[in-house]
Amino acid sequence: MSKKEIGLALLLIVIGGITAALNPLFLSGVNLLNMANLIGLFGIFAIGQGLIIITGGIDLSVGSIFALLGVVLVDLLVNFELAWPLAVLAVLGAGLVLGLLHGLLVTRLKLQPFVVTLCGLLIYRGIARYYTQDSTIGFGYAGAELDTLAWLASGRSLGIPNPFLILLLVAGVMAVVLHRTVFGRHLYAVGRNEEAARHSGINTDGVIMGAYLLGGGLAGLATVLLVFYTSSVSPSSFGSFYELYAIAAAVLGGCSLRGGEGSILGIVLGTVLLQILQNLVNILGIPSSLNFAVMGAVILMGVIADRQLGLRRQRIQMTRSQPAAAE
Amino acid sequence: MAPLLELKGIGKSYPGVRALDGVDLCLEAGEVLGLIGENGAGKSTLMKILGGVLPPSEGRIRIAGRDRASLSVAEASAAGIAFVHQELNLFDNLDVAGNVLFGRESVRGGPLRLLDRRAAAARVAPLLRRLGADFAPETPVAELSIAQRQLVEIARALAAEARIIILDEPTSSLTLSETARLLSVVKELRTGGTGLIYITHRLGEIIDCADRVVCLRDGRLAGALPREEIAHAAMIRLMIGRELRALYAPPGRAAGAGGLEARGLVTPAFPGQAVDLHVRPGEILGLAGLVGAGRTSLARSLFGLDPPLGGAVLLDGRPLRLASPREAVEAGIYLVPEDRKRDGLVLDMPIVENVTLASAPAYARFGLIRRAAEWAASEAQRAALRIRAPDSAARVGDLSGGNQQKVVLARWLSMAPRVILLDEPTRGIDVGAKGEIYALMRALADRGVAILMISSDMEEVLGVSDRILVMHEGRISGGLEREGFSEQAVLRLAIGEVPAPDAAGQQESLPA
Amino acid sequence: MKRRSILAAPAALALAGLPRGAGAQEKRSLAFVVNVSADFWTICRRGIEKANREHPDFAMEMIVPGQASAAEQRRIVDELLARRVAGIAISPINPANSTEMLNRAAAQAVLFTSDSDAPNSNRAVYIGTDNVAAGREAGAQMKRALPKGGKAMLFVGTMDADNARERVQGIREALQGSQIQVVDIRTDESDIARAKRNVEDTLARYSDIDLLVGLWAYNTPQIYQAVKAAGREGKVQVVGFDEDALTLRGVADGTILSTVVQQPFEFGYQSMVGMVRYLNNDRGFIPASKQIIIPTRIIDKSNVAEFQAQMRELLRGR
Repeated sequence: MSKKEIGLALLLIVIGGITAALNPLFLSGVNLLNMANLIGLFGIFAIGQGLIIITGGIDLSVGSIFALLGVVLVDLLVNFELAWPLAVLAVLGAGLVLGLLHGLLVTRLKLQPFVVTLCGLLIYRGIARYYTQDSTIGFGYAGAELDTLAWLASGRSLGIPNPFLILLLVAGVMAVVLHRTVFGRHLYAVGRNEEAARHSGINTDGVIMGAYLLGGGLAGLATVLLVFYTSSVSPSSFGSFYELYAIAAAVLGGCSLRGGEGSILGIVLGTVLLQILQNLVNILGIPSSLNFAVMGAVILMGVIADRQLGLRRQRIQMTRSQPAAAE
Repeated sequence: MAPLLELKGIGKSYPGVRALDGVDLCLEAGEVLGLIGENGAGKSTLMKILGGVLPPSEGRIRIAGRDRASLSVAEASAAGIAFVHQELNLFDNLDVAGNVLFGRESVRGGPLRLLDRRAAAARVAPLLRRLGADFAPETPVAELSIAQRQLVEIARALAAEARIIILDEPTSSLTLSETARLLSVVKELRTGGTGLIYITHRLGEIIDCADRVVCLRDGRLAGALPREEIAHAAMIRLMIGRELRALYAPPGRAAGAGGLEARGLVTPAFPGQAVDLHVRPGEILGLAGLVGAGRTSLARSLFGLDPPLGGAVLLDGRPLRLASPREAVEAGIYLVPEDRKRDGLVLDMPIVENVTLASAPAYARFGLIRRAAEWAASEAQRAALRIRAPDSAARVGDLSGGNQQKVVLARWLSMAPRVILLDEPTRGIDVGAKGEIYALMRALADRGVAILMISSDMEEVLGVSDRILVMHEGRISGGLEREGFSEQAVLRLAIGEVPAPDAAGQQESLPA
Repeated sequence: MKRRSILAAPAALALAGLPRGAGAQEKRSLAFVVNVSADFWTICRRGIEKANREHPDFAMEMIVPGQASAAEQRRIVDELLARRVAGIAISPINPANSTEMLNRAAAQAVLFTSDSDAPNSNRAVYIGTDNVAAGREAGAQMKRALPKGGKAMLFVGTMDADNARERVQGIREALQGSQIQVVDIRTDESDIARAKRNVEDTLARYSDIDLLVGLWAYNTPQIYQAVKAAGREGKVQVVGFDEDALTLRGVADGTILSTVVQQPFEFGYQSMVGMVRYLNNDRGFIPASKQIIIPTRIIDKSNVAEFQAQMRELLRGR
């Protein structure tokens, strides 16, 4: 664990401790499992977002991808009555294709990721609404043939919500990919200094493309889980703003928007913090209207504290190494 | 008359360490004071104190007869101290006049304080004339060469009516002729009564322009030389406390056959010119020329960064396809780039990850990097190259320039080099580390590596190369064998003149 | 020339996007502007389609704003006026502060309000539910669920919507003097996932909660799912609004006591037919109060099967 992650974990413990002290029900099994479920849902695409942020990019389109792939999924299952494994594969594949598209636009046409994915945000939302003629679609009249998929996506195994288990799996795999493989090493190098990576013979475009592909695939996976969490998709609001939750989780978890920094553990802890914040608003009976304000205030405090601690560490290091670097 | 600037007993302490200790320094009006010293000797700390960036721990600063315990940045500027930095501090998006007058813009009256461009140009034009600049005040800075930007910085100092101008490595990015022009500007400023402190690693420039030399070593004054005693050997003795070995080490083996060959190579920078070049295993080929002559573009094309528009590149007689650096690296052609911080290193990563950046797959099993193996490889390189850091976990950004360059070299040495292209390999590196890097280059050549060294440092070109090619406006204007080396011959080829038959006879004595 | 064709392209696309293309030029258009996308409005659309079949000389369309914001609605209305539609029926998102926009529309076209009224504007008539009355109906159902009283929690998207405030007002009026205590109202800003988590968190926090009430169409299905997932069916009573498929399923299996449904089909049908009559200078159908109240219905176990079949029919082939 890096210092950043330890700091974040401490912040989690402090906030969790205060909440539990004010209302012990915070630590009740039911509440913890509910939170685990939501952490699973939001953590999966936050990891995808984090990978893209590490390359120095950003993905603003995830929320709209959820709406578009969500309506496609429901439509395939309910109206086309496609077998669920095929429908799920189609949605995962579509997520990969969208990621590939973003990656190509960013690397081949050298467009800025912010612009590419901002356009994605608008386009996918628009297509989703047009496709459904702006009506909410869901599993309301669907039969029992979806029970297996519904269990996989929203059920529990040994009492643990499946989305949380899926997150653990995804986080484990991605942690190995990011922290142990050549691809992960190259991802960090490209994020920190793309030119130096290119001068070392690294296929920088391929690495960046890989990050967008993974981001798209994870967004597809998250779509399936989110759709089964709500059982219905209203194309104009489904997933709206979720890209910001993902970005906030990644930034809280130590990713720098300049790229090259961040870890899977940090992103997961960032997601946990965000979910705790939303939960404590309800558990402590804080008016719902303050929900966003509480979230924003805690993130801001976290980032300020991190920055100040970082500067202090830097100063201490500077004074230590000053003589060596005096010239 | 009181000296312009007098420092008495300046010291700077950090917990446990003294970066500066009892430094005295004196600058008269109309004097050029050369300030030399190895990296880490305390030159930058001293200059930061003068610029008001750092407060001294002890000592006093006397400017034009007035004592000051310390300075703020604003006070230093008001006292007439101006800096021309190694890394230029200009606004690319403004024009020349906007940069020169930044902070003291010409404005029209009225509440809006609109900028008066015409008045600004009128104020700046005479300054530019005085510096012999060949560009107008309205030129956008983005269009200027590095040398021209340097002049803008000096014009800015003049506009601020600076009495004391500190030039910190001003020529590190300049070509020979540009350096010559800068030196004449320095002399012109001196005649006008300005005091200049000239910091450089290029001792030839000190010999050319300094009235006096002061040398720092380990935070103390190592000594001073009056005008008549300024010479290479004396300065190097002061800087490193001992004699420097001769720069040139003869090759340990004859150049072999094969190596890297470019035939009719057309680079994107000069689509109208074709270049022929052949660097053989075991030799160090120096590539000289003015900045912008096409040397870096040539190296970039050979490394696949800017794929060539035409012609062929052959390695040991076999043609190569160079669409990207990946192909070059696979073939064993490695580039040590000119700007190592931008192109060579990932500063935030530790030494080990920088060393294995290009060869990570070699340390991986089933796609997973074996940390122990790469650590061992990195530590071996660190020891072999004598990279000064506690261990391979040290962040590369915290290393000195020379050690950073060694990390770039370590990356390639840990692989299987066939050809190494070095672009300005010792820029901004102190004398001691330079020697180590030259020795490394020679050792590599003796191992059968073909080495192409691009350099704008005349001492280096003449002192290190086995053979020299000179480029002028995108083409090879001529070549020199070791016995024909001379500064004049290189310069003439660099400006496109065919050398006179007796060029070899004017050979200058090299620093020994 | 090239420049013009570039400019023309989006315009051509926009024209192609209009529902009835070139034919719309002769036909007079009537538009129904809703507040947000929901099944509720899909049913309304069926009413509009029925009206259009009866009056084929009009082009009738329904417009759904991208975001449930007053600004977005204003933009849509301005565009409709620019297209010179003959009549607009609208469910205003922020009626109290949209008077100027509504009056501008009323000056240039026939203006009806539906679903949510704007009594201070110059609208010709309001056709829709009386949300305070609907709230009182829900309050009566809440008393039916908890005859001995207990703790209730309300869920809604946002409280700055008039129908939310009016329904709450009606509920509070109906609960006067009863033993039912409204603990809190949790809002979700139209984020369905958050609507569900609000219910989950409520169930986690209040072990003694007796009754959950969903005020907006999507709230009740999320309550239904969360209660089932927590295994609290039967222990916690549910009263809802509107006719989401899951809500009806919950009514059918007994998890939900009852739901108060409006008749959006009638909103669409009567608004369109009313505007046609108004344009033909037949204003006799407008009462002095300028409000045509379409009554709400209570769907509970006794009538849910029949209602479900009816809904399936209306929503089929969408």
